[in-house]
Amino acid sequence: MTKAAKVMVPAIKVTRLHKTFNCCKALDGVSLDINPGEMVALIGASGSGKSTLLRHVAGLAVGDSSTQGGSIEVMGRPIQACGRLATDIRATRARIGFVFQQFNLVGRLPVMTNVLTGALGRLPLWRSLTGLFPLEDRERALEALTRVGIHETAWQRASTLSGGQQQRAAIARTLVQRAEIILADEPIASLDPESSRRVMETLATINAEDKTTVVVCLHQVDFAIRYCPRTIALKKGQIVFDGPSAELTPSALRDLYGAEADELSAPIQGSASFITDTALAVAG
Amino acid sequence: MNTAIDTARLSPPPRQSLVKLLAWGVIFATLAWSWSGAEIRPMALITDGANMGTFLADFFPPNFHDWRYYLEEMVITLHIAIWGTALAIVCAIPFGLLCAENVAPAWINQPVRRLMDSCRAINEMVFAMLFVVAVGLGPFAGVLALFVHTTGILAKLFSEAVEAIDPRPVEGIRATGANLLEEIVYGIIPQVMPLWISYSLYRFESNVRSATVVGMVGAGGIGVVLWEIIRGFYFAETCAVMLIIIATVSIIDIVSSRLRKLFI
Ligand SMILES: Nc1ncnc2c1ncn2[C@@H]1O[C@H](COP(=O)(O)OP(=O)(O)OP(=O)(O)O)[C@@H](O)[C@H]1O
Ligand SMILES: [Mg+2]
Repeated sequence: MTKAAKVMVPAIKVTRLHKTFNCCKALDGVSLDINPGEMVALIGASGSGKSTLLRHVAGLAVGDSSTQGGSIEVMGRPIQACGRLATDIRATRARIGFVFQQFNLVGRLPVMTNVLTGALGRLPLWRSLTGLFPLEDRERALEALTRVGIHETAWQRASTLSGGQQQRAAIARTLVQRAEIILADEPIASLDPESSRRVMETLATINAEDKTTVVVCLHQVDFAIRYCPRTIALKKGQIVFDGPSAELTPSALRDLYGAEADELSAPIQGSASFITDTALAVAG
Repeated sequence: MNTAIDTARLSPPPRQSLVKLLAWGVIFATLAWSWSGAEIRPMALITDGANMGTFLADFFPPNFHDWRYYLEEMVITLHIAIWGTALAIVCAIPFGLLCAENVAPAWINQPVRRLMDSCRAINEMVFAMLFVVAVGLGPFAGVLALFVHTTGILAKLFSEAVEAIDPRPVEGIRATGANLLEEIVYGIIPQVMPLWISYSLYRFESNVRSATVVGMVGAGGIGVVLWEIIRGFYFAETCAVMLIIIATVSIIDIVSSRLRKLFI
């Protein structure tokens, strides 16, 4: 990073975060800085603590209290410190958009309402409880749905959408939220290659156009290399790599992960062909 | 062919047979023990058979002479059931949410649950008698009796539905910076709505039945009429009223179970 980047307030600052579940240590002294406007991939084998880390950053889980100094700040606002959530956590959460692997939409509500819930954080209580969203927010919601390409499903029940469409609705929710940071936990893990590509493109576009900071957990390194300039790699709750994604060659991965590297790099062959396929389709 | 089978395994192990025998013994002992208390006299059915025959004959043909009056009172009974259920639903929503483990902490939901248990434990007839004393004879006492008892039942059913929801959509709402009330309105209520509607309709059905009975202690409606004509030995009229009750309750049951199917 340049010197100028260093003086600005980091979008996400995690300091010596530990998290112990009854069985094992899910996060083991994680520290990282992410600057505003970055698009960062978080990779690691299953169980390496990616989801746990993201949930802590959004204040959906709290770290260990015993270890001194385990803290998270987002855009200069504290999220949690020493195992306690900040008191104004809701106000800060409203600035963080979260995209879940299982979409976490309310299936029985229309897509439009699901997307409008992004505005809840800034609405007065009487409006949110009566469901009378201001015109401005409804326009914003429709605009967001148009932007992710599913505006024609606006009044369908969310449960009737395909996985890829649901994930794009979840991204539209973060747009209505006017999130300054988007945390995406394996947004493409349950999607087919074509839907995965569209979801990743949508995230990359939002990052480029709105300067939104994006942190995305991925299972496949090739997606990280393709869409994210920077990658952070986790292994057993520790950061083992933090740098340009281009440095993550198969041999570098093998150095980091040993036998587990296959789990992360195996899709490279499969999806390399799909990348060339789409390139051909675009060219042709 | 001649694979030796362990013949001992053809019957269950002796311990199991013993337990079974013991269970039957306990059942028969219980029945025998309550025999005298309940004054069971099967012979009375035979010796008093002729009496019962004439008694039954008194019921027929039913006397529908006052049918307008009966119907009016039946409609009042419906009104009692409607208001008793409606008030109960309104109260059962907050109480049901407070009873749910995934909404309220233990120090709130334990006391609320005990309160709802006591509403449920006491029969609506008992509440009806108490409210007749408190607010006087008439339908309002019936409404209050059904309301208290049904709140206890619905709050429990509602909270069980809330505890069975999928937590992920709620977390999705929470991640947008929503507060607890907004999480409930957007994350929980849409998920439990079909079950809540179905439970409420079911309770309405049962409350129509109960409302005919609470009248017997003076809490208004057809029950009052029934009680008066039974006491006056007007059996043909009693038969007419019972037929009206059966017809009404059946119609309500059919309509409401149709409606309930729409929501599940
Ligand atoms: N709620 C929980 N209770 C107990 N253990 C948990 C809990 N959540 C996560 N863990 C444990 O923490 C470790 C890290 O889990 P985490 O979900 O963060 O991994 P992950 O990197 O997201 O894996 P995946 O790629 O499979 O999603 C795992 O060993 C997991 O078993
Ligand atoms: Mg995960």
